[in-house]
Amino acid sequence: MTTATSPDALLEVDGLSVRYEPKRNPSLTAVSDVSFSIRPGEFVGLIGESGSGKTTLGTALLRLLDRPARISEGSVRLDGTDITALSEDELRPLRWRDVSTVFQSSMNALNPVIRVEAQFRDVIEEHSGLRGDAVTERVRELFDMVMIDHRFIRAFPHELSGGMKQRVNLALALALEPKVVLLDEPTTGLDVVVQHSILENIRRLQREKGFAVLFISHDIGTVLDLSDRILVMYAGRIVEENDAASLLRDPMHPYTKGLLGSYSDPRAETVRITYVPGRLPDLTKDVTGCPFVARCPERISLCESVTPAFAPLAGGDVACHVARVQRGGEVDGLAAADVGEPTRRFAGPEFVKTAAESTEALTRPALLSVDSVGKTYERRRGLKVERTVAVDDVSFELRRGEVTALVGQSGSGKTTLARLITGVDKPSTGRIVFHGPDGEQEVAGFRGRALRGYRKHVQMVFQDPYSSLNPAKRIGQALERPLVNHHGLSGRALRDRVRELLETVALTPTERFVDRYPHELSGGQRQRVVIARALAAEPEIVIADEPISSLDVSIRAEILELLGSLVREHDMGILYITHDLLSARMLSDEVLVLNDGRVVERGPTLDVIRSPRDEYTRRLLDAVPNPFG
Amino acid sequence: MTTTPVTDPQGVGEPQLAPEETVEVRRPDPWYRVVWSSSKARVGLVIVAVYVLVAIFAPLIAPHDPTNSDFVPLAGPSAENWLGTTTNGQDIASQLIHGTRISLLVGLFGGLLATAIALVIGMVSGYAEGTLLDDALTFLTNVALVIPVLPLIITLVAYSDTRGVPLIVAVIAITSWAGAARAKRAQIITLRNRDFVTASKFAGDRTLRIVFAEIMPNMTSLVAAGFVGAATGAIGAEAGLAILGLGDSGSVSWGTMLYQANAQGAIAQGLWIWVFVPGLVLGILITAMTFVNFGVDLLSNPHLRED
Repeated sequence: MTTATSPDALLEVDGLSVRYEPKRNPSLTAVSDVSFSIRPGEFVGLIGESGSGKTTLGTALLRLLDRPARISEGSVRLDGTDITALSEDELRPLRWRDVSTVFQSSMNALNPVIRVEAQFRDVIEEHSGLRGDAVTERVRELFDMVMIDHRFIRAFPHELSGGMKQRVNLALALALEPKVVLLDEPTTGLDVVVQHSILENIRRLQREKGFAVLFISHDIGTVLDLSDRILVMYAGRIVEENDAASLLRDPMHPYTKGLLGSYSDPRAETVRITYVPGRLPDLTKDVTGCPFVARCPERISLCESVTPAFAPLAGGDVACHVARVQRGGEVDGLAAADVGEPTRRFAGPEFVKTAAESTEALTRPALLSVDSVGKTYERRRGLKVERTVAVDDVSFELRRGEVTALVGQSGSGKTTLARLITGVDKPSTGRIVFHGPDGEQEVAGFRGRALRGYRKHVQMVFQDPYSSLNPAKRIGQALERPLVNHHGLSGRALRDRVRELLETVALTPTERFVDRYPHELSGGQRQRVVIARALAAEPEIVIADEPISSLDVSIRAEILELLGSLVREHDMGILYITHDLLSARMLSDEVLVLNDGRVVERGPTLDVIRSPRDEYTRRLLDAVPNPFG
Repeated sequence: MTTTPVTDPQGVGEPQLAPEETVEVRRPDPWYRVVWSSSKARVGLVIVAVYVLVAIFAPLIAPHDPTNSDFVPLAGPSAENWLGTTTNGQDIASQLIHGTRISLLVGLFGGLLATAIALVIGMVSGYAEGTLLDDALTFLTNVALVIPVLPLIITLVAYSDTRGVPLIVAVIAITSWAGAARAKRAQIITLRNRDFVTASKFAGDRTLRIVFAEIMPNMTSLVAAGFVGAATGAIGAEAGLAILGLGDSGSVSWGTMLYQANAQGAIAQGLWIWVFVPGLVLGILITAMTFVNFGVDLLSNPHLRED
């Protein structure tokens, strides 16, 4: 089962398996029998959801695996040398000079107590003959390559922004002109606009310098834009391999279709995005049949018993019975009549938003009016007072049964606005009025008991479902608190209501979830629990602060769908805070684009996206990966 | 607001494809198994268990009343007096066995009280970081840290009228909480900005509940390690006080045994068992408790567990 191994391959992975063998837990095969090759100067994307084994694979390629993980089978050839057989001392000169990497967490990859220049100097002097001024010259060149001002050469890492740090990491990776660069989600956690410019930078440098790239990501949109060839990974195996254009035109594996389904053209009248329900199979158990079978809408009975082989088909390689037969391949015990025509769509659950819905929603009565609100933070420094304007003259209305999106980069004032609306902070100018059951009330006037009462009406959904659920509490306990505090429920009524809430967010059967701890749930499931907790108070307004940005792209629609249905069925208003215009399009009826605390553009979402008037809105729109654009 | 389940407007039922799965992730090992997994902790726990049994059944195990001074003084080990007798004609073995009770009692309650003080002060000051309340509590903690503890204990005990075990426990606890309070303050500062704390505020919880019912369960391992450490310290401190003659004169403990031995010039008279044995059992107990803490460390730092 070797893939097209061209003789000129630079990096050749053959039958690679990685096993985790912890002492006290069952062992599992995180990467199983993976084969592929990368030619010099090729840009290869590796995609898959969290937990699919892509980072483990990347780490194995660098021989950086730590115990309890180890390469159990297969080889990794770099320029013909099998690096799995080399000793640490033999590896050292190869690393960085031939293969280098940019890790996911840019913030931690630089030593905080050493100046950036010295970190470059270390690397360059260790591996090359350059010394003294020649090194400084080289560092200048590298900074030019990644477009950072030379004055930051002498800076300490904490003086750089997140985007700059990642650029410095990229420059460090390229310092010795390696043949292969491994990029493991290099832009995750960065702003869309910054992300966009770094990716452009990477692609341009790769074309100029001709190094090969293996780009690991969960986001098929960014990978498709950049890559020549794509590897799709699922449950530790490569399930599809094809060049980027063919993969986009004719995805063969249903999982690939599922990943592609998370993108859509935001300018369309009706937007549909799909998501892949369920979660990865348990890799500690032996997988019989196709590992994707439980989540596959195209499965047939054969998939449950026979594991599909990964073999060439229609110009690419794929491991899927159905796709093979559909495209004229042969599979034992399967006739062409047993399967339908090939489709491009993932026939899974989908989320649809039409323009007509939004028009209707914008005529509803207001729930919350924000009236020329401004917030200035003051910081005393010696005799001087430093003023920072976080929000400046912002006005909008949030209506019943409507979603307003606040869109902007980090630092644009979105979160400050959320703090003002929830009563955590008070505005410096202007007023925020809540049109609640007790008439009009100004939010800034709430204190103590009144603030707790107000929070019955205004609830939050947080960005990171991993930190917003108490790891020491069961799901049921988390849901009980707001019910006890805001509605005084107890005993049987309390338990019944918890069950209802879990049903509302489709975590059924509910008895399987009540006694679980958060770590036993997937990211999407946790975020649904967070939403259920927000619903428990029966609020009028829900503030969703980037509720999907820490989730895999392939399951984001799952949360958007849930939020969308809540607006329709519970008649609440949602303030959706995001940096991503595509998700704003999916969920919101009205959008406000914030830049430096000011509203630069405001209007019905579809209008803003189709004909953006402001330069900044256009930049945000350009940054949205759109494989179909 | 109604609470009907989400009906899927597109008719593409969500759970239709794959039922919601949760069971793949293994529950982490229960705490007792984690602690037991360390061989040092196993040794420590077995030794501590032996001490506890001896303390509970002391009247049954000890051959004589520890205060009975009817034996021949200065006798060597024999079937009657396993470890010989003191200058006053008391049975050393019986004193040793009964002494276990005092040490363990002081360890248990001294540890509990010191941990409780550290928890309240550390948690409240950490949660209120940056406020006047925190400044005041931090100041108090710092004062408690820099005061020379031994002179303070001696002064406190020397001036009190009754020298019972409760007094010893109280004095030890109020002089030993400060370091642990610092550790807890630091820990809660890292936890209090997590989203789940904000979520609790939105769920309508009051501050004390948030601190002690929401945040504290996330620090149980730190609290447990703090308790074991405090208990170890308390056992040592009680023995130290007793050796200086500041112990509870009415009861028999290892420390009072050592005090008596010293006062009667046991070493000069060649009665090395009298000096050596109480010191040995004390040393073994403290070593065992330190070993237990190796296991408790595994709870708070999962990185130590692998391999």
